[in-house]
Amino acid sequence: MHLRYRAAYGFLAPYLLIFAVFWIWPIISSFIMSFQNTRVNPWVFNPGATWGRLFIDPAFYNALKNTMIILVIQVPVMITLATIMAVLLNSPLLKAKGLFRFAFFAPVVVGEVAYAAVFRLMFNLDFGIINKLLLSIGIPAVSWFSETPAAMSLLIIAVTWRWAGYNAIIILSGLQSIPEDVYEAATLDRVSKVKQFIHITLPLLKPIIVFCVVLSIIGSMQLFIEPMLITNRGGPGGGTETLGLFLYRQGFASSNFGYASSIAYTMAVLAILISLLNMWIGREAK
Amino acid sequence: MAELSLKNVSKSFGSYEIIRNACLDIADGEFVVFVGPSGCGKSTLLRMIAGLEHITHGEIRIGDEVVNDVEPADRGIAMVFQSYALYPHMTVEENLSFGLRMTGNPKADTERRVQRVVDILQIRELMKRRPKQLSGGQRQRVAIGRAIVREPRVFLFDEPLSNLDAELRVQMRVEISRLHKELGTTMIYVTHDQTEAMTLANKIVVLRGGNIEQIGAPLDLYDNPANQFVAGFVGSPKMNFMSAEVVGVETGNVTLMLSNQGNVRLTLPLKDTPPAVGDKVTLGVRPEHFTNADGGIANLTVKVDVAEHLGNTSYIYANVASGEQLIIEREESRHDKTRDTLTVAIKSSHALLFDSAGNRLQ
Ligand SMILES: Nc1ncnc2c1ncn2[C@@H]1O[C@H](COP(=O)(O)OP(=O)(O)OP(=O)(O)O)[C@@H](O)[C@H]1O
Ligand SMILES: [Mg+2]
Repeated sequence: MHLRYRAAYGFLAPYLLIFAVFWIWPIISSFIMSFQNTRVNPWVFNPGATWGRLFIDPAFYNALKNTMIILVIQVPVMITLATIMAVLLNSPLLKAKGLFRFAFFAPVVVGEVAYAAVFRLMFNLDFGIINKLLLSIGIPAVSWFSETPAAMSLLIIAVTWRWAGYNAIIILSGLQSIPEDVYEAATLDRVSKVKQFIHITLPLLKPIIVFCVVLSIIGSMQLFIEPMLITNRGGPGGGTETLGLFLYRQGFASSNFGYASSIAYTMAVLAILISLLNMWIGREAK
Repeated sequence: MAELSLKNVSKSFGSYEIIRNACLDIADGEFVVFVGPSGCGKSTLLRMIAGLEHITHGEIRIGDEVVNDVEPADRGIAMVFQSYALYPHMTVEENLSFGLRMTGNPKADTERRVQRVVDILQIRELMKRRPKQLSGGQRQRVAIGRAIVREPRVFLFDEPLSNLDAELRVQMRVEISRLHKELGTTMIYVTHDQTEAMTLANKIVVLRGGNIEQIGAPLDLYDNPANQFVAGFVGSPKMNFMSAEVVGVETGNVTLMLSNQGNVRLTLPLKDTPPAVGDKVTLGVRPEHFTNADGGIANLTVKVDVAEHLGNTSYIYANVASGEQLIIEREESRHDKTRDTLTVAIKSSHALLFDSAGNRLQ
């Protein structure tokens, strides 16, 4: 090897070493692990106990179903909301833009435990502010943590609250990259504001929106903190158990690393497939 | 098609007055060019006519309707933007027809109009492409096409050629001129290129710092500028300005001394109230208004700094000792060289006189 390259790799070595030990190795090792029964000592090659089990485990199907329900409802709702927020934030009529931008972004930087605690308080059956508000407009109190549909809604509300503003800021940057004179040209073309939004803004935002959707899908696939902390470990009775939580329980509660690895790979592959599907749907027409 | 008039139109952004008391009448079918240095308010004035900027004072009429409060869409104007402002995600065809499709224009009519534009601008082979896949000149054509499709009463162009290279500019300039003849529609065209202004316009409006300095036909502005700014702005290479002092005044005549040109004296006819003896004035002479020594009203002796021989003509950039630079056009001579000393004469009746405030004295 040329000396210059050797020197370069020398400088890169510390990084490459860490990358190999903490990235490459776990990826490979967990892949190998996913074919092993890890509940016997020593571990033995037995894909039936991991990959095979995935196909017949009702708990896995429950977690998969819950994750998909959350994903299918939460991502479109949140992205729509984020787009509306971005458009409002971009309006020349809006004062104190900086304040709003900060407020929208703030949920992301709030600590996860604090955020979960606040949601548990707000949605408390007896003294939570949400139920009080519902009661005040004549809707009976909802028991958010002990009924599955309500608990699922709560998760969706919480995740949406946390990430909508973040996505709105990304979409806002997309909005601001659309040149003003395109809208002026459309105005002179006698195109109404609503039609401008549908036929100019949305198509031009498409790449950014697809990006946000993909990010959100990956996030929702890995949903863990909210079901863990807000709905109390996937309660009621596994009603809000997600793949992330299921993986955690298998890996850390039952020390079943082989099975946990196969779940992790399934999640990653699903996230990739759904994202690819999305990018294919949102692809630029040739 | 329509005439257009501005009456005492002003525009302020906050406390800055960007356009001051603009008055202008444009006849039906006229080609009017706004020129002026960068930042003088050309675009603002154009956008006010389009309705993209509100006006602070005054009145704008298109046809015989006051349009101050008429929406841009309803003014019957079409605008070609400097940046083209094409819809980036649409094909050329969609770009052309977008406005008509969105406003429910009958399909057959939309098609007819688009076809007509395609014929006029010869862009048939571009129809399926997107703006990104077009060259600058092609985009420009499409932007113009989009304006024509609207069949407006007035066309507005904001520096449409400034993003093109020199050769393409000349070509598009000719094309726009042809278009004007073909369509016969009123056109208002903004540029800071005075060649474009001179070649395209029926009427030029010279702007400076938000004021209209002069309105007139191209050659009128060239021959009879109202002030030193217009004189310097119109014409290329620029008019030469020499500082002078009034040394004698008789009825109908004024005698000057060119203090920076070796105290040469010359006498010019003057109808206006003459300045007083001792006043500082400026003498303006265009590069082509010099002739061979002794052929005019005064001889100047200068030193050649740079000589540009273009074949059909030559430009001599000459310095005098006091630092004043002169540009002299010499059609007959290809032999002047750097550091030559040259004596030329100012042709009579071609020298213009300006007072110290820059106003023309005639
Ligand atoms: N929205 C605005 N707010 C404040 N000032 C503005 C605004 N738009 C333009 N101006 C100011 O108005 C003046 C005229 O601007 P305008 O764009 O009309 O110039 P222009 O003659 O078109 O210049 P150029 O040749 O560079 O395009 C400038 O001094 C500019 O700073
Ligand atoms: Mg401009």
